[in-house]
Amino acid sequence: MKCLQLIIGPAGSGKSTFCSVMFNHFQSLRRPLEIVNLDPAAETFNYTPSVDIRDLISVDDVLEDEDIIMGPNGGLVFCMEYISQNMEWIRDQLTDGDDAYVIVDCPGQIELYSHLPIMKEIVTTFKSWDYNVCTLFMIDAHFVLEPEKLIAGALTALSSMVSLETSAVNVLTKMDQLSRENRKEVEDMLESDCSQLVDGVNDEPWNEKHAALTRAIATVLDDYSMFRMVALDNTDEESIEDLLLMIDTTIQYGEDAEVHDRIPEEVDPEEE
Amino acid sequence: MAESAAPSSSKMPSEAPTSSSATKSEGPDPNLAPSVIVLGMAGSGKTSFVQRLTAHLHAKKTPPYVVNLDPAVRKVPYPVNIDIRDTVKYKQVMTEYGLGPNGAILTSLNLFCTRFDQVIDLVRARSSTVPLTIIDTPGQIEAFTWSASGTIITEALASSHPTVVVYVCDSARATAPATFMSNMLYACSILYRTKLPFFVVFNKADIVRPTFAQRWMTDFERFDEALEDARGGYSNDLARSLSLVLDEFYGGLKTVICSALTGEGMDEVLTAIGECSQQYRDQYIPLYAEIRAKKAEEAARKLKEEKDSKADDLTRDVQALDIGTVRDSDDESE
Repeated sequence: MKCLQLIIGPAGSGKSTFCSVMFNHFQSLRRPLEIVNLDPAAETFNYTPSVDIRDLISVDDVLEDEDIIMGPNGGLVFCMEYISQNMEWIRDQLTDGDDAYVIVDCPGQIELYSHLPIMKEIVTTFKSWDYNVCTLFMIDAHFVLEPEKLIAGALTALSSMVSLETSAVNVLTKMDQLSRENRKEVEDMLESDCSQLVDGVNDEPWNEKHAALTRAIATVLDDYSMFRMVALDNTDEESIEDLLLMIDTTIQYGEDAEVHDRIPEEVDPEEE
Repeated sequence: MAESAAPSSSKMPSEAPTSSSATKSEGPDPNLAPSVIVLGMAGSGKTSFVQRLTAHLHAKKTPPYVVNLDPAVRKVPYPVNIDIRDTVKYKQVMTEYGLGPNGAILTSLNLFCTRFDQVIDLVRARSSTVPLTIIDTPGQIEAFTWSASGTIITEALASSHPTVVVYVCDSARATAPATFMSNMLYACSILYRTKLPFFVVFNKADIVRPTFAQRWMTDFERFDEALEDARGGYSNDLARSLSLVLDEFYGGLKTVICSALTGEGMDEVLTAIGECSQQYRDQYIPLYAEIRAKKAEEAARKLKEEKDSKADDLTRDVQALDIGTVRDSDDESE
């Protein structure tokens, strides 16, 4: 079973950091992992991607090209369209074996998911190669310190989810950077049901006015086990492990695992 | 880092009247002209919308005050009063910090944020002579909605005078039910994030009549059918339940159909802005007063706690000392 984690989320939400955390974690578990950097505008990241899309095309190439006059946005869309048409280029560089596990570090622009069909096409291509895809939506925990903000975050994640149509896990990143109080608040919020959460919000006029809507959202979030939100503390191995377990369950990793004997010649020379 | 990083050439437009003292420490002023924050996905036509609205107001001889917050835009097709590009040079930020296009937009916005009090002063000073202030945001929506600087800017405006959020939606792209739903969910998330009066503009009405959107928004069954058709008979449960949620959202939502190209619907936009600023006055001013009071209380409590705990520490220290050495002083006993 081939597995794929699609890492999405707004700029600065910690996508690349997450990839490098996973990279290290997989290494310590001795599980094979390939990372694809799919962001043509990426700057630096501290993991070693197996495939770097910037080798194919980068936003800088497009912006510097005299014939194509585009802003950063148009440039990105141009790149992504080019990538979606050249997906074989990525496949050629992946081991693509039966037990391949791939993490794809995506660009953050929400437009690519909810406005344009590009990301959907890319996901569909991966699915057609028999990858089980799980979307991980990164949200900076600093932005969800109140129940209303948490709902806003959930809605943003949902707006990408409905168009990608994959299973998904939402990750609250940068938990380790929160103050102890805030951290506790976020953890408490995640532990309780959304309905409980919204019942607890204060009776500001705004909340009263939108109470019906808030309750409707909370009910959907509660009813759909599809929607999960997990807090991640990069510095805590246990937190990383828990998250990976959840992802693996979602992705159905290892459900078809068979007994492998360790005969050296089976090792793919591309790895290690 | 941020403060020193603002390029040395940074200066606000020379028309800056020095009224900085006026804004400090008082609550929002309901009588000032409203500020309109224009949000929308890249390519939804934010800039054209601002252009058309500005032109419309100019034609009425009531020119608005216009602020551009997009550092990466090449050309601003409308007369702009405050331009982030005068203060922060996007290209320079890019080379100076070795950032990519995205990072540079975020950083530029962060840098500008450090000067935003000046913008507020300028906007407030002008608000008696203009009907409204229009604020055009960066092309990539999450640079504003999911960034610290976006939050700071929104809150700074909202705590100074009536502030309204306009979400520009591309009608032509929203014809696909999934895209439409995505857009509406995003709009809903903005509502929850900003908690400001809010309305949606269906732009590009000249390309596709957004009547389909209005049908979908009023008739849940219709949308469900469309969703099912688009998915070839397969409608996923989540999407279906979400459309029920959105039904609730539409109930309280103001929408305006307009076209930045033909100028259709601009008067309706102005009416909606008017209604929303009234909403701000009715609901937000009392709310802000309450929040401010709460904050002040909280701060006072914290200060007191801190004092108390310091006093405790002191007492403990003193006691510790007492056990040890110092005996000869009279007033040490307390």
